[in-house]
Amino acid sequence: MNATLVIQSLISGIMMGSVYALLGVGFSLTWGVMKVIHISHSAFGLVGAFLAYTLLNWLNLDPVLSLAVSVPALFLVACFVYRYLIRPITKAKEVIVSSMILTFGIAIILENLMLLIWSPDPRLLTTSYTSKVLILGPLYFQYPRLVGFLMSALGVGVIHFFLKRTHTGRAVRAAWQQPDAAQLYGVSLQRISLITFGLAVSSAGAGGVGMALLYSFEPHSHNLWLIYLFLVVIVGGVGNVLGTAVAGVIIGVITGLSLAFLPYQWVNLLTFGLLMVILIIRPEGLFKGEV
Amino acid sequence: MGKAAPQTRSTSFLIGTLALLIGLAAFPWFGPPVYFVSLLFTVFMYVALASSWNFIGGYAGYLSFGHVAFFGIGAYATAMMMKGLNLAPFWTILSSIPAGGVAAVIAVIVGYPCLRLRGPYFAVITFCFAFVVELGVKNLDVLGGPEGLWLKSMDLPINTIRAILFEVMMIIMLMAVAMSIWVSRSKFGAGLRAIKEDEEVAQTMAINAPRLKIQAFALSAFFPGMAGGVYAYYLTYIHPDIVFDVMISILIVLMALFGGGGTWLGPVIGALILTLINEGLSTFVKAELARIIYGGLFIGVIIFMPNGIMEFFKGVGAKTGGALRRSSGQARHKA
Repeated sequence: MNATLVIQSLISGIMMGSVYALLGVGFSLTWGVMKVIHISHSAFGLVGAFLAYTLLNWLNLDPVLSLAVSVPALFLVACFVYRYLIRPITKAKEVIVSSMILTFGIAIILENLMLLIWSPDPRLLTTSYTSKVLILGPLYFQYPRLVGFLMSALGVGVIHFFLKRTHTGRAVRAAWQQPDAAQLYGVSLQRISLITFGLAVSSAGAGGVGMALLYSFEPHSHNLWLIYLFLVVIVGGVGNVLGTAVAGVIIGVITGLSLAFLPYQWVNLLTFGLLMVILIIRPEGLFKGEV
Repeated sequence: MGKAAPQTRSTSFLIGTLALLIGLAAFPWFGPPVYFVSLLFTVFMYVALASSWNFIGGYAGYLSFGHVAFFGIGAYATAMMMKGLNLAPFWTILSSIPAGGVAAVIAVIVGYPCLRLRGPYFAVITFCFAFVVELGVKNLDVLGGPEGLWLKSMDLPINTIRAILFEVMMIIMLMAVAMSIWVSRSKFGAGLRAIKEDEEVAQTMAINAPRLKIQAFALSAFFPGMAGGVYAYYLTYIHPDIVFDVMISILIVLMALFGGGGTWLGPVIGALILTLINEGLSTFVKAELARIIYGGLFIGVIIFMPNGIMEFFKGVGAKTGGALRRSSGQARHKA
């Protein structure tokens, strides 16, 4: 009986964790490659979630299919944001600090735009399969989590494949490991940063849809998501895609298990406390940073 | 003439400042509209917050992104003292001093492990710390939990209460700014600046970096703790979402950097300008729109004024900078 509960929460933990991973991968890349701590990453994720919500209620479009609209849209917005807001500060001495404040400004703007457009009410993505459950023996799988899991696994896989196997992806890794040498080989750092930022923001949109499949959301939710981003990236190692994926699953499992055994309001406290402890013990992350 | 001119200028500056302060202190007793009393109260509060953030963020270069935690801790400490000790409401003004003490003690405990982290990691851990404290408070029923706490008000007319708290906040602000001026000219401040420049080199020059950092962190938590207590009392109601608002944390950083961190005048100017803009905006336009414009301001400040607005006031900036350089030079000489 208890063993079933443990396995059950392990499974849902892995499913939640994969979504954290998808949300965190882009955050990790922007931090690692561009040295930009992108505070508004989770706010862009929330935009993806709200777009999915609107498309679902308007056209009855499945949240996963809505990515066909929101991912390219977010990519374009990200290019604009990079070109006119991020690029001017990347030459500054303290990029990380300036980027934190600047992108916090973007997060405030996005949050209040969302408040104006969608109002502060909490939302749920209610699809045709929201309440459906797949039962395998003593275990049950909620369809929305299953969908989120598959989407996130696919998303992280695609990003990993892009970085390891494509020419542009290799250039991104080169730009991170040896910026000067990469430039000598004809890699344009600005173009690479643009692509990285666009990729990161659009994957945030997908991650946001995943989060929306798991939890209810409202325009302020991105602050909470941001802590999860920091947690996943710090544990996984800055810039490390596979590390982020593993870290996401670890955090998901911890959340899943603590959800099963602790009152709900203590779960976040536990997770954030964990982040502080990990930061103090091993700020460089449990895994080595590597793109 | 070259020598006499700055002398007269600084004397008249001193007299002008004194006149301004006396005028400000007298202001609430003439029965002005409540709006202006509240506005000035908020300005004082942010000047105190930004100036005290400057000890750790500006002088030492350790950017705390969770300073609202100390503000909120002060607010709750005051509230608990009022309840626990059952003080007559008037005396609770004094409870903001132990409230600042509580915040400073927590800063020492938290700072000890956290101040070993540098750069973005310190920023991230302080950012998280504020969330942890907020969630902790929300989970403790003793502290009112997610509903917050109501405080008993003084048995006086509401305008008198406002005026008294106005004076108290003004005193806190003056103390924070005076401390900031002292730090900028002291050996302590010189040590912090050395840490900001290069911590390793500072260590080899017999500067006890860990101790100085803890002291600066505790100092920079003390005044926000006091201000939080007075603020709680001003609102007579405290709620975790209000006194731990992450926006306050970021605002403090922005104000100090906007004015120019590392000088005492920078945070004062930054807090003054940004508070006035913020209050002005939220008076004239819809709250969401005001915040959107404010977010745009964050972006504008970082892109167009990366070194703070003080750069535009070259004369004032050079003067303070010169004083700092002189004092740090002296301190090094002594060491």
